Amino acid sequence: MAADGLYKYSEQINELLARYGVKFGIYKNNIFKEQLFPFDTIPRVIKKSEFDYLERGLKQRVTALNEFIKDIYSDKKIIRDGVVPEEFVYSGSGYLAQCEGVCPSKGVYTHISGIDLVQGKDKNWYILEDNLRIPSGASYPMIARDICRRSSPATFEKYHIEDNRNYAKLLRRTMDYVNTGGHTVILSPGRYNAAYFEHSYLAEQTGAHLVTGSELTVENDRLYFIDYSGKKEQVGAVYRRISDEYLDPMNFNKESVIGIPHIYDIYRKGNVALINAPGNGVADDKGIYYFVPKMVKYYLNEEPILQNAPTYLPYYKEDMKYVLDNIDTLVLKDVAEAGGYGVVFGSKMTKTEKEEFIVLLIREPRRFIAQEVIDFLDIDIYDDGEIVPRKADLRAFVLMADEPLVWKSGLTRFSRDPDSFIVNSSQGGGFKDTWVLSE
Amino acid sequence: MAILSFSNSDRLYWLGRYSERVYTTLRSFAKHFDTMIDLKPEEYADFCKKQDIPNIYTSKEDFSRRYCFDENDPNSIYSNLMRAYDNAIVLREEIGSETLAYIQLAVYAMNKAKISDAPLLELQKVVDNIAAFWGMADDRIDEANVRSIIKLGKRVERIDLYARMNASPDEIRREIHRLSARVPQTGLKYSASVIVHLNYMAAKTELDYPTIVKEVESLIDFTEIRPVIGL
Repeated sequence: MAADGLYKYSEQINELLARYGVKFGIYKNNIFKEQLFPFDTIPRVIKKSEFDYLERGLKQRVTALNEFIKDIYSDKKIIRDGVVPEEFVYSGSGYLAQCEGVCPSKGVYTHISGIDLVQGKDKNWYILEDNLRIPSGASYPMIARDICRRSSPATFEKYHIEDNRNYAKLLRRTMDYVNTGGHTVILSPGRYNAAYFEHSYLAEQTGAHLVTGSELTVENDRLYFIDYSGKKEQVGAVYRRISDEYLDPMNFNKESVIGIPHIYDIYRKGNVALINAPGNGVADDKGIYYFVPKMVKYYLNEEPILQNAPTYLPYYKEDMKYVLDNIDTLVLKDVAEAGGYGVVFGSKMTKTEKEEFIVLLIREPRRFIAQEVIDFLDIDIYDDGEIVPRKADLRAFVLMADEPLVWKSGLTRFSRDPDSFIVNSSQGGGFKDTWVLSE
Repeated sequence: MAILSFSNSDRLYWLGRYSERVYTTLRSFAKHFDTMIDLKPEEYADFCKKQDIPNIYTSKEDFSRRYCFDENDPNSIYSNLMRAYDNAIVLREEIGSETLAYIQLAVYAMNKAKISDAPLLELQKVVDNIAAFWGMADDRIDEANVRSIIKLGKRVERIDLYARMNASPDEIRREIHRLSARVPQTGLKYSASVIVHLNYMAAKTELDYPTIVKEVESLIDFTEIRPVIGL
């Protein structure tokens, strides 16, 4: 057992995580609460050869996605060539007309990608979703590893594991690569954001300044951080952890009080890098997901290395027929939802719910995708003194610097409920470290 | 000197003040608590008067519980600790995770004390964690201005509290000297005339406690120094 030296320290390790404030925020009945993110000491272990395969596939996929975003906001060749129907591009909430004709620093859109995968019982890996806007989660295994190494050094002496504490270096390299001149900042909406721990921890680890919108200002086509003596310091890269619509009230949501007026104007002129690029949502829409293997072939002229989960688009007549005929065996996802919400299993719907859902599906076919339910490979967790199997996914992180960099680890999230496939932290899930063996 | 935003300079200052308030009021509470046990049960009224907080308590038991733990009482030690935490939690990149952890541990200790049968024993851990926080701040914060702003808040609060509690003149003099040496290292705009006046008062045989409180509170005015950010 890889975790033999670790799980006896579960309580102490979780106490140390609490000491460092490893939490996430959650709103319940409009009240903000901070919750500890339960950590399971039994790691997910991935062999070197297996991760080498994943690494190749992840680099390929994110490179293609970056090309897709570049193409959509410029030439739109993929639409003209009939590979992706235009209604899937323009009707999605992630498409931003304001991004048309805008090329970010060094042509990088997908600076940080969080690609969610699951391993089936057939041992095949399947991509569940691409997160190209503000994927979070890397900080948790990074700090957990640090504490695990303190708890059981012999474990890390015995097994040869890639050190995942280099994530901050990879992130810094990514930010520095696109920096247009000046400081690098991490823009957070503030401590009541669900991922605030991560914002502050990554700022500490990368040496970037953690800021809120009110501390930045645009003047003379440049972005400045104003220090406490009133001195202005130029900012060249903003790793923003606020969504597109709140980034700039002058260009997006006018009601935003957490953004920076005119930041998008100077981004458009190439005077600051925004990480990740605005408009990326056009490529991580659940509907667009279906087309990613086609993008790989189209842009890279390669066969996709990683597979999607078998997916159907009710938008296509033949797929709609399949979905209606097999609804009991499928999982249906609302493309506008995230965080494990808007997901329904056909097998769990009542007769009335199913009838109502079918009416909605026929009325709004673009709104849903359907997928075969993948029989996840269960992984062990240590629960109340015993080892039990649970569903888990893996969020792999790909960073786009001067080359695509795959972090040799990842966030493994698991469901604590034995009957659930939903692993999201906001719905009670826990997390594990992900060990990538180096030999 | 670290590049520091105005809001973070404000938070560092208040982190220093609230952490000191928790530390000193807890230690003072422990002394008064001892007196209340069998010597003077009404001692808490005097405590409230000195602290300049309303005596809303109905008995020594009510005081002991609510003054320590009532999250709805803005003057409680609990509320002051949460204010220290609220400032600390947004300063991780300035003070570091290791330093921040001691404020987090103080909060855990406070919550444990709240449900304990012997809260004073558990509250000692709050005091210990605040002391460890200051030790870590001294040891681990490399940026002189960041460290100095926390210490400035601590000194201002200590002078304010000591003066209210009629501490010995020598203790107040020592704190005024420490404050005078610290404030130029912060990079904050401050009133030099206040420092001159405080030192003038400290040199006298009899200390004018109310004026010392008034003066030290006017040393830094964050509403005056907030930079204007244009649209």
